[in-house]
Amino acid sequence: MALPPLEAEESLHHADELPETVSEEAIHGRSPMQIAFERLRHDKVAIFSAAVILFFILVAIFAPLICKAFGVELRAYPGSEIIDINTTFGKVGPPDHGFTWDHPLGVERGTGNDLLAEWVYGCRTSLMVASIATILSTAIGILIGLVAGFSHGWLDRGLTFVVDLFLSFPFILGALTLAPIIYSHWAGDASKLGVAQFWALIGVLTIFTWMPLARLIRGEVFSLREREFIQAARVIGVPTRRILFKELLPNLIAPIVIFFSLSLPALVTAEAGLAFLGIGLTERPSWGQTINKAVPYFDQFPLWLWAPVLGVMALVLALNLLGDAIRDAFDPKTRR
Amino acid sequence: MRLRSLLAATSVAALAVVAACGGGSDDTSSGNQGFTEGGSGGGIMNANAPAPAPPVPGAQEGGTVNVWGTSGLQSMHPTEAYFTNTTSILSNMVTRSLTQYMWNPEKKAMELVPDLATDLGQHNADFTEWTFTIRDGIKWQDGSDVTMDDMVRGIKASFDNFAEGAFPNGAQYSKTYFKGGNWKGPFTDPSGDCNCISVDGRDITIQMARPFPDMPFWGSFPAMGPLPKVAMGDTAAYGNNPWSTGPYKFQSFDPGTSRLVLVRNEFWDPNTDPGRHAYPDEWDFDVDRGDPTVLDRTLLEDQGDAQTAMSYDNIQQSSRQQAEGSGRLVTGPSPCTIFWYMDTRKPEWENIEVRKALGTAWNFDDYRLATGLAMGLSAVPATMILPPGMPGRIDPPFDVIGNGGTGTGDPAKAKQMLQDAGALNTPVTFLFDASDPTAVDGKNIIVKALSEAGFDPQPRAVPNADKEDELTQDPDAPINLRHLGWCSDWPSGSSWFSPVFSSEGSSNYSYLSEPKIDQKITEIESMAADQQPPHWGDLDKQIMTEFYPVIPDYYTADAMLRGSKIEGYNNDEVRGMPTFATIWVKQ
Repeated sequence: MALPPLEAEESLHHADELPETVSEEAIHGRSPMQIAFERLRHDKVAIFSAAVILFFILVAIFAPLICKAFGVELRAYPGSEIIDINTTFGKVGPPDHGFTWDHPLGVERGTGNDLLAEWVYGCRTSLMVASIATILSTAIGILIGLVAGFSHGWLDRGLTFVVDLFLSFPFILGALTLAPIIYSHWAGDASKLGVAQFWALIGVLTIFTWMPLARLIRGEVFSLREREFIQAARVIGVPTRRILFKELLPNLIAPIVIFFSLSLPALVTAEAGLAFLGIGLTERPSWGQTINKAVPYFDQFPLWLWAPVLGVMALVLALNLLGDAIRDAFDPKTRR
Repeated sequence: MRLRSLLAATSVAALAVVAACGGGSDDTSSGNQGFTEGGSGGGIMNANAPAPAPPVPGAQEGGTVNVWGTSGLQSMHPTEAYFTNTTSILSNMVTRSLTQYMWNPEKKAMELVPDLATDLGQHNADFTEWTFTIRDGIKWQDGSDVTMDDMVRGIKASFDNFAEGAFPNGAQYSKTYFKGGNWKGPFTDPSGDCNCISVDGRDITIQMARPFPDMPFWGSFPAMGPLPKVAMGDTAAYGNNPWSTGPYKFQSFDPGTSRLVLVRNEFWDPNTDPGRHAYPDEWDFDVDRGDPTVLDRTLLEDQGDAQTAMSYDNIQQSSRQQAEGSGRLVTGPSPCTIFWYMDTRKPEWENIEVRKALGTAWNFDDYRLATGLAMGLSAVPATMILPPGMPGRIDPPFDVIGNGGTGTGDPAKAKQMLQDAGALNTPVTFLFDASDPTAVDGKNIIVKALSEAGFDPQPRAVPNADKEDELTQDPDAPINLRHLGWCSDWPSGSSWFSPVFSSEGSSNYSYLSEPKIDQKITEIESMAADQQPPHWGDLDKQIMTEFYPVIPDYYTADAMLRGSKIEGYNNDEVRGMPTFATIWVKQ
């Protein structure tokens, strides 16, 4: 009451910018992305997680080179050359013999395949499947979310129904049903079967992960489309496609990045889980598959199981922590 | 005889072996005449075994035996039971038949002894008429007498053992050998009759359509026992609760979960039974338990219930070391050979040199290692058709390829053989279970070995093991190599060569059709019984040398675990099962 009307109005006007008026440089416009990156750079957990993830990415990319460097070969099936027929474990390396650089993680029971090669290529499979499926499901989620959120009426209702439909379909059941169909379709050609398996797995994972993002985006678009800048764009006749991708999308970066970073680890886990159940990939190495094979021999050869388990754990943990950090960084409510 | 299940038979989750067996033979399959005294271990028949059976030394009465397994139970109808496990359980404990097998502790082998009959049957000169004298004082589980009508009813029911009959999975020996084999059985054709069975007092006489010297062996199947009147009603219901004449009766049976509880049958009189004992009070079968590795571990840890538990599944390779050290592993032979059958109808296998090249290129060791076969324990490398213990089997074993059924193959030699035959890049098509990483390893090893040897391996993926079994047994499946086994129904070459290698054989998966072999089989079958064995051995060699229709893979063996309080557990080499009748629980 004591303040004159003018002053009151002025202070209200600047309320948002108040903390930043302290330093002159900070006033320069920064996008939410820039702010988030700035925050991430100072987050030690995020930096460490990123380093771990980078390590796995490098392992995946340079898998053939790593194998060459260690002098190991993927799925060479040396069999009885390297396997002791009596114990069925390797004649060299763990579990019955000491560490050897020829096979740093030992060799697989029975087949004699090198486990380092299996691990390195398993990492490649994990990351490839998870990242391709995440990219695809993100793209689908964005598209459906944008269209559903921006369109009124039947299109929105239709798309929402589709989202609900997919959400209600049981994932494991879907994966279980699809596998036999794929096997019978590509039965005759083992090499094509491998490719079919790979893309089918990505397809299954994609189909069952895009819905939450679509819902999230739709909700965001609901609130954004009534805002002045969208209204203005419509009034001046900007085409809908441009409104969607140039006006709305940049404002949705935060939820998209967060979804992306959190669904990656979920899909790494899902891939390993499906492989463990025998409905994932069998024609190419995968951590889940190694785990499946190693479990019965845990007593005799624990390293066989530990290597892929630790791989999955470290990768998923790092991805999750980084995902959390990204979410925090994008969240305007966190102040650290 | 059908193996209880492939998995149990091979102790490998991955192996694509199906052992169909024995009496799949239909009316057309040739007769067999060769039964021999002195098969496995010298005296497989003992017509004078006294009743009651001599007690098992040290055996105690009482207690419950838990039987655990993973292969489930198929039909428990006595007429239809034809898997090694169902036959063995019914025969040892529930349903009595004309004859039975009994563990002989001195010979450490099974011998055929009388059961409901007072001896092993009397026959005429050419084995076309068999007479069995049925004992007095045999009672059903409700206390009523087993009548001669019940006996005739039971034997006649086996005429319904054919694909469209009441018991499609039953053994078909009655239809093959008995007179009136065209009769469709009392369930499918109630007004008809085989007119092959006559009763005179306690004597029951069966007329044969052709000589059947092996009748006493067929008499040991549960199908050759009595059936009460109620069995003529709902066959499925009766199969879930067959009436007992033996020491135990069904208390409960749930076919869905394969949970079977047997309790004492007070109306069984040991004084009428030369073969059975009944030491435990109760048997609790829980034989569809899922993960075989967990099962092994539970039995090896030997805590609580597991002390009085046993399994008739072969142990997993992963449990081998521990099992061998436990002192509770029961091992012994079982009557099966597993083959890789080459489909000789296919033009690519026409040339025997090409077939032998496949045998030369074959990588036995790596495939067995990768698929987890416990070599030397539940499997023994094979080079010929007849497994160890079969009468007439050539000893020392011959070996057409010369690698002893072991090793990693000789790709260079195989390639040379293919080149000489002008058959490089011969396609080899086979099935593998694409959902199982171990099976995929096996496939990769075959592909690697055969590619090196100049073949063109073409694996075909199937979605699961069941589908694999089904397709492997389908003669029209688009494959030319099949992995299957065969187990004898009784110890005679006759139960091997006519079903597996004659042109009309029901399990002739190499589809061998050689008039020369057919003729030889008929010839040997018309010989006197005691002269047959060496000829079967020669025929084995002739088939392998002149035709090489199969790559013998391995002979099966049993390696089963028992809890520390289970005693009297021996291996029944006739069925590859435990000797249930001699088992007792240490109190």
